[in-house]
Amino acid sequence: MSTNHLKKEVFEHLIRGTFICSNSSMPQIQRLYAYIDENFEELESYFLEINYILTQGDEYYHFTRPEQKVDVARKLEQAFRWIDMVDFFKSHEASFGSGHRFEPQAIAVHLKVNATLKSKLRALKKYTNTDNELEGIKKLVELLRKDGYMELENEISDSYKVLASFSYLEKLILNINLSEEIQNEIPE
Amino acid sequence: MYAFQSIKELLNALVLGKELLGEMFGKRKSFDYRYDQAIEMIEESKVTALIEKGIIIRNGRYLEIEDQLFAFFEQILDVNEEINVSYINEHFTLLKENIDYYLIENSENGKYKYLKSIKTSLRKMGFICLRNIVDLNRNIDNTFKTEPNYKIKIKKLENYDHRRLDIKRLILVTEQLIDEEELTFFAVAKEDELNRITTELRLQLQDARHSLIETERQIIDFLNQVKLQSKISEKIRQVKYLKDQFELESKSDILFQLGEMNPVLFESRPSFPVKLSLETLQEEEIYGLIRDLNKRQSSKVKPKIPMAEAINPSFFNDTEETDVFINMEEMKNNFSASGNHLLDFVLQYKYPKAVDFEEMVYCYCQLISLYEQDMDIKEQYISHRDTEFAIIYPK
Repeated sequence: MSTNHLKKEVFEHLIRGTFICSNSSMPQIQRLYAYIDENFEELESYFLEINYILTQGDEYYHFTRPEQKVDVARKLEQAFRWIDMVDFFKSHEASFGSGHRFEPQAIAVHLKVNATLKSKLRALKKYTNTDNELEGIKKLVELLRKDGYMELENEISDSYKVLASFSYLEKLILNINLSEEIQNEIPE
Repeated sequence: MYAFQSIKELLNALVLGKELLGEMFGKRKSFDYRYDQAIEMIEESKVTALIEKGIIIRNGRYLEIEDQLFAFFEQILDVNEEINVSYINEHFTLLKENIDYYLIENSENGKYKYLKSIKTSLRKMGFICLRNIVDLNRNIDNTFKTEPNYKIKIKKLENYDHRRLDIKRLILVTEQLIDEEELTFFAVAKEDELNRITTELRLQLQDARHSLIETERQIIDFLNQVKLQSKISEKIRQVKYLKDQFELESKSDILFQLGEMNPVLFESRPSFPVKLSLETLQEEEIYGLIRDLNKRQSSKVKPKIPMAEAINPSFFNDTEETDVFINMEEMKNNFSASGNHLLDFVLQYKYPKAVDFEEMVYCYCQLISLYEQDMDIKEQYISHRDTEFAIIYPK
């Protein structure tokens, strides 16, 4: 396949604000990741000409802009949404992260025995718009899937895989600095 | 404990309870074996006999395999959970003692006895070292994968790291013993088998040292991962707490952090509307697409479609119109049969309708153009009404 075609695919993928991850199980994405990996510098300067910075993360690539395009209020709203979701999935399973595989059904079962998790899901109703637990979890998964943090690995067993881009969210949260004083205020 | 008189008696006792022992050993991690489960499987008398002989110990409702046997099974089957450094230490001390005795002993017979036990100890040491490393690796892996509590996980991994250091120290001490401390002994007791065993031990120790490097890397990697994970969990908890208190913006630098980064993923999905060219819109395929798209458009506003007036019924009545045509095929056939030249033929032909001269010329030309291959066109011309006509005969 010609490199121009691959360039086009990379662009079309990244422009939507999603990621190209190394651990994706889709052959098309794997091919794109390998292509970027081999030609990173060339592509970086290529996309810079049209004002996009090809950014490398821990096993993933995405686009950033050289200047601010979105106002902070919108970013904050988006970040809050992710904090809520990451908190929910991490409460379900502390090791929930890149490479983790799960089924929404299994989380729903866990919900039955974990009241905290249940209340967390209820608090996320503004995103799920449903009272049905399984539906709600599926909705959250779908939102994260659309944003490129996980993918449907097996349609029959409805099993999902968390992609490397999930570490972007973790990094985002880790980067938020809280002063020691405030940390001490937060109850255990 | 019951004292067995001979190894045969012990073996017999083990054979007696082999099914039960196999089952109990296999399930040692999953659950405590109960007395009533045991008597379901083998006869009660056998269970009682095993308890009497001290192979199984009854602990209230539960049964356990005797500790010594249990450790023996684990060791021999390579499945022991505990990394027992003291075991190597014990051998080490025994070895040193035996070497001392060997050097002091004068009689050949005595020396031989000590040498034999030295060789056994040396042979075992390398093996035990390797076995311990395998156990250590398995335990590290298990802990990392299965321990749900982060604090315990970190503690366990750190303890395994200490064990690793212990094994490393032991390897070093053993090597020193062979290469530095007991030079006299190895110089005096020159024997092929001893040499072979020492060389093998050296190789085993080297192997062990190499595997320990990998183990160390593994532990560091696991510890880092676990610490990062627990750090992330902790951070998420704090951030989420502040967020729920509506204090995150004021008490953290999130606004600054977000202001610093400009990833595309914060932007709304861009759409690139493309206006199609008029030529493209006229293609059949595009028309199909437009129709499909149009079907999806549902609007509550029903547009008023202008209606045309009814069609006058008189338009549906059939009208007949008759026209007479000259059949060129028939005319050509007649011409072929006639033997006249074409102009003569055309002028004399019985047309199905009244025909003027112009039409006759038309027929003349049309016959030539249609059936040129069947005609013989001569070089001569004939004049008729101021027009020259070529003389043409059928072939």
